[in-house]
Formats: sequence, C-alpha cells, structure tokens
Amino acid sequence: MTATAPAELRLDGGGAPPPLLEVESLEVVLGRGWRANKVLSGVNLKVNPGEIVGLVGETGSGKTTLARAVVGLVKPRRGRVLFDGAPISGLRRRALRAHRRQGGVQYVFQDPLRSLDPDLTVERIVGEGLAIRGDPPEEIRLRVVDALAQVGLDASLMSRDPGQISGGQRQRVSIARALATGPRLLICDEPVSALDASNRNHVLNLLSELRGSLNLPIIIISHDLGSLAAIADRVVVLYRGKIVEDGPIDKVFAAPRHPYTALLLASTPSVTESRSLRAHQLRLQEGEPVPLLGPGACVFAPRCPFALAETCSAQPPLTGVEPGWSNACSRHRDWPNLARGRS
Amino acid sequence: MALNDLLLDDPSVATPAVRGIPTREDVLRIDDLHVSVHEGLATAVRGVSLRVGAGETVGLVGESGSGKTLTCRAALGLLPAGCRIDGGSVSFAGQDVTAASRRAWEAIHGSQVGAVFQDPASYLNPSLTVGAQLAEVLRVKGRLSRQQARRRALELFGDVGLHQPGRVFHQIPAELSGGMLQRAMVAIAISCGPRLLIADEATTALDVTIQAEVIDLLLDLRRRNGLAVMFVSHDLAVVAELCDRIYVFYAGQVVESGTVEEIVHRPRHPYTKALVRVASGGDFRRRHLEVIPGSPPQVGTYMAGCSFADRCRFALGPCCSGEVQSVVVGDQHEVRCARANDVELSEELLPV
Repeated sequence: MTATAPAELRLDGGGAPPPLLEVESLEVVLGRGWRANKVLSGVNLKVNPGEIVGLVGETGSGKTTLARAVVGLVKPRRGRVLFDGAPISGLRRRALRAHRRQGGVQYVFQDPLRSLDPDLTVERIVGEGLAIRGDPPEEIRLRVVDALAQVGLDASLMSRDPGQISGGQRQRVSIARALATGPRLLICDEPVSALDASNRNHVLNLLSELRGSLNLPIIIISHDLGSLAAIADRVVVLYRGKIVEDGPIDKVFAAPRHPYTALLLASTPSVTESRSLRAHQLRLQEGEPVPLLGPGACVFAPRCPFALAETCSAQPPLTGVEPGWSNACSRHRDWPNLARGRS
Repeated sequence: MALNDLLLDDPSVATPAVRGIPTREDVLRIDDLHVSVHEGLATAVRGVSLRVGAGETVGLVGESGSGKTLTCRAALGLLPAGCRIDGGSVSFAGQDVTAASRRAWEAIHGSQVGAVFQDPASYLNPSLTVGAQLAEVLRVKGRLSRQQARRRALELFGDVGLHQPGRVFHQIPAELSGGMLQRAMVAIAISCGPRLLIADEATTALDVTIQAEVIDLLLDLRRRNGLAVMFVSHDLAVVAELCDRIYVFYAGQVVESGTVEEIVHRPRHPYTKALVRVASGGDFRRRHLEVIPGSPPQVGTYMAGCSFADRCRFALGPCCSGEVQSVVVGDQHEVRCARANDVELSEELLPV
C-alpha cells in the first residue's frame, strides 16, 4: 500500500509555534510473517505546548502502540516521530538511550501497583530517573520532595513502599516520578481506570493543573469520555489503527462527525438521560444488510449501519471539515440524519 | 419461554425461612448480614439488609472496600478463605441458605442463582471449547443428553446475542473477544434457568461500546425471561443505566437505598450526593471535576457513629456518637443518616 498524502487542513493560525510533537504517516507492524499485524497505519498527530490531547478508542485500536511509538518503545515501519523538530523514531541504541535519559518525554502507566517496583521506597521510585541521569544525590532528594509536592503528596510518604499507600496516592507517585526529570511532554496511558470515581477526578484535576502551571502538554489515553471532556482540549479517535476523527473535544463531543465517535459517546453510561442519539441507533442490528466490501474499505464499515458500497469501498483520508477538526467518514454529512431516523 | 421450562425449583414449595419475613416475590433476601475477614479479626460487612424482587434489577454501588463484593459473595456461598458470615441471613425464594452445606449450594448454584464476574477468561478452561463447557453444565445440572445439551447450548448462545452460535460453540476462550466471552459466561450462568443473576463488576473490563451491549443484553434477558439481576459496580452511571433500585454501600453498610430516580435525582445521604457529583456519566462539558475529600475508612477501623462523618461537611455532634439507624424517607427510600430529615440537607440542590 502506498502512503497517501496527509490531507491535513489544519490552520495553525499563521505565526503559531511549531508543534512539540509531530507524528507523520506512522505505520507500526507488530509480529512477523503470518502473525504480522498492522497496528497503526497512516497516523498523523500533532501536539502543541500546553495542550491536553485525549486519545480514545477501543481495545486493539492502537492507542497504546501510538503512545509507545512516541516514547520510542516501538519501532515504526514507516513514518516518523519528531520531538521538538528532531526525529526520534530513527534513533538507534546509544542515541535513543541518550534521548530517553534526558527525560524529555515521560510515560505514566495504567496500573501503578504493577508499574511501580514494590521493593523500592517512594523516594527511590521518584528519584530513579534522576539517578540514572547521574544527578548528585542531594539534588535528587530536593527534586523528589519538589515533585511530590507538585502532585500534592507530603514528603512523609517518601520512606513508604507502593504497597503501603492508597491507590490514588500510588498513581500520584507515578506522576511525580514522571515529573521529576522535568519532562516537556507527558503521556498517560489509562491513568485513572484503576481508580474510584473520587480519586479519578482528583488525578485528572491534578493533570489539568500541571498543564496550567508548567505549560506541560499531556497525551491522555482513556476510555472514559466524560472525564476526558472535563480537562482535554483536543480528542483523537482511533479505530483499528487509523485516526477516524481529530478535533476540539467540545465540538467533537457535541456533534461528532464520525459514526464511531458517536457510538462511543452514546455507549458511555450516563446518570442523566441527555443523549441525542442512543447506542442502538448507531449499531448494526442483527440481520441488517451489510454491503460487500473488499480489502482497503473503510475500517469502520463492517460495524457501520450507514456504510454503502459506492462510498465506503476505500478508506477515506482524514479530511478537514473546519480548521482543526478532521474526520475520516465519507458519509459525514448524511449519517446523523439517517441515525435519527433509526428506531 | 424455553428458559423457564428448565426452571427446576418452584418457589412455592420451598421450605419456609426460619429468620426474617420472606415474601414470595423476593428471589433474594439478605437480613442484617455480618461478614468478618482475616479470620474474624475485622468486620467488613456490618448489618447489610437487602432484597431483590422477582424480575427486578438491583444495583449495589460503592467504592472499593465498601463491602459490596463480599455481600454478593456471601449471597453466592462463595466467601473467600478467611471470611465468614458472623450474623444475619441469606435466603433464596424463602429458603434460608445461610448455613447451607457445600452440597446444598451445588443445588442452588445454576438453578436458583447464576453469576458472572469481571474477568470471564479466568472462569473458563482455556483449553476446552466454550460450547463443551456450556454443554457440560447442561448435562450435569440440567440432566440433558449429549445431543439435547448441544442443541440447547446453541440456543443459549443465540439468546445471549452471539452471532454465529455454531461457530462459537467450537471455539476456545482465547479465540473470543472480551465481550463475546462475557456473553458466553452469561449463557452458562443462565443455562439452568436461575431466577437471579448476580453480576459482580461484569462490565468493568469491557470497552464502553461492548459494555453498552452487555447492559442491553441483561435488560433484554429480564424482559424476555423475567430474570432478576443483582448488579455490583463501582460505577454509579452504569448502575443507573441498568437498575430499578440501588443500594449505596459505604464502609460495610448500606447508607442509602431507593429507586434509581431517588438515588440519582433526590439523594438524601451526603455520601450519595457526593457520589452522584463525582460520577462521570453523561456530561461532556469542560468542568472542574469534584472530589470527595478524605478517604474511606480501612476495613475494621470504623469510628463510633456514622462512618462518613469525618468526610461529611454536614456532620454534627450526634453523628459521631452511637449507631446511626436507617430512616425511611419514602416508599422504598431509606437513608442511614442522623440528619436525614434536616431541612438544610434535604434542600441542598444537586448540580446535575
């Protein structure tokens, strides 16, 4: 497959600063031979300083792989990842290690209980990156206290180990660990899915404050669209390794242009009855005819009740509908009305 | 209805319960249940009473450690090692099962109550086909022949919305997605026609789109078969979506119970109010996310009086001394709050 030209229609407002992170036509294949699985293809993504970007999509959509490619834990087959204008996707051993040691990009993992070493104290965990970087011990201690304060944790916790603190505190320790090296980009992979509602909100508010106080851009992978909407600026929706919608989160969530985004929103459980469309109006019902589509068709077509053989037999490129908002649905004008007409 | 043909027990012939006042319509009744953990060192469930009516969907909601899972484990006779029932009673359709033997539980499981849990893959044998595992249940518990069991298994797979039952029958768990596995688990759980399905965080590990499908399936099973469901979740939004009534758990007690409408729109307990405010569901606006200050008490370290008092901004002297009793504030609405009838609390508006 030839890489299609990125059909970006993003007006960055003339003299805006260049994006801190730029992902260009990224393709990632995991496994070899008959097991080879194209996890991401043709992914373009930009993250600007001070921006919170939400990455949503279901299991297997490639969100985590995209995040891992950004930190250099996965090698892309095609495309590049540029951090602050410098390509990092092509870095090899020594150069990659040097890049990682700078701690410019930090990753917060989903399950703090499993991602934090149970045998180390909070102080060692938070300071580990600094120690690897070779900072002097007395400086490390100060930075650790500082990082813990940034996440609202008391220095008295420093001598505990991860098993002795609560789940919410543990996730804040992982964020403090990430902050200690003074990162310029933070990637949080499902940072709150293991937490209770109150702790979840606490951690999300904290991320929002960090963006404000440090102008720190944050990529948050989450399946909880409601919480994401509270703090993110932009949302990127992935489906089967492709970005299907990318735009300002308030606009996208108010009137999604891709039926998959709409399905995600309609499926989100709600305490109030305020949905414009219900999930069953966006789901293919049993026995409903599906157009016969060959390979290369729209990735969502097999699950889409609005797919047509004429329009959906090729994956539509991500096309701008208005500045900063693009989607990959060839029927984006027609489906909302069709959906409303479904029982 | 095919499922009801398999109903083995008629509740009207069940032996009358010794304790409590069971009504015929209640499929499950729990009275003043106490469960201790760590070999009796601490009490994690402290006087929980609840009931599930026939064909009713009831939600148990609360933070981790609030006792909701232990309550449902006790109701299934599946308490983990080191835990035991210290008081109170559990009865199915009027039959007291609190002290039931293992053998007695075997007769209850499947035919009176089925269960699904958070991680379906860990409850299935990874090397047997899903069909064989369902057929085994039907042959052993339902006493069907090999052929009947196979036919019935295919029917059940169809009933739970698996699109190609014939294909799924021959697949092993690893070949199915999480949503399909959970559907298969539901098929196994309802295979012997129980009147109650207990679902403990059954949709927590699923994608939202799949979660919505499983919720629709449970609603559909209730409509078609009159299946009662006890749904346990930490997510108030999921519970509100599915249930008729909700029990709110805090520190091993039910602090409020009522219809979904009452719990979500007219909560009376300050904890329930806080829970509604921190729930994420349905609001897609940029906003400050509310938190509940403090953290719930550790199991076994409960204060005298109301356990929520240290986190409650309405707490007064009487909240911290003496046991707080449940107060009936509506037809089905009960609140365990010393200030349940104070005007100041009941008039506080919710920003929903």
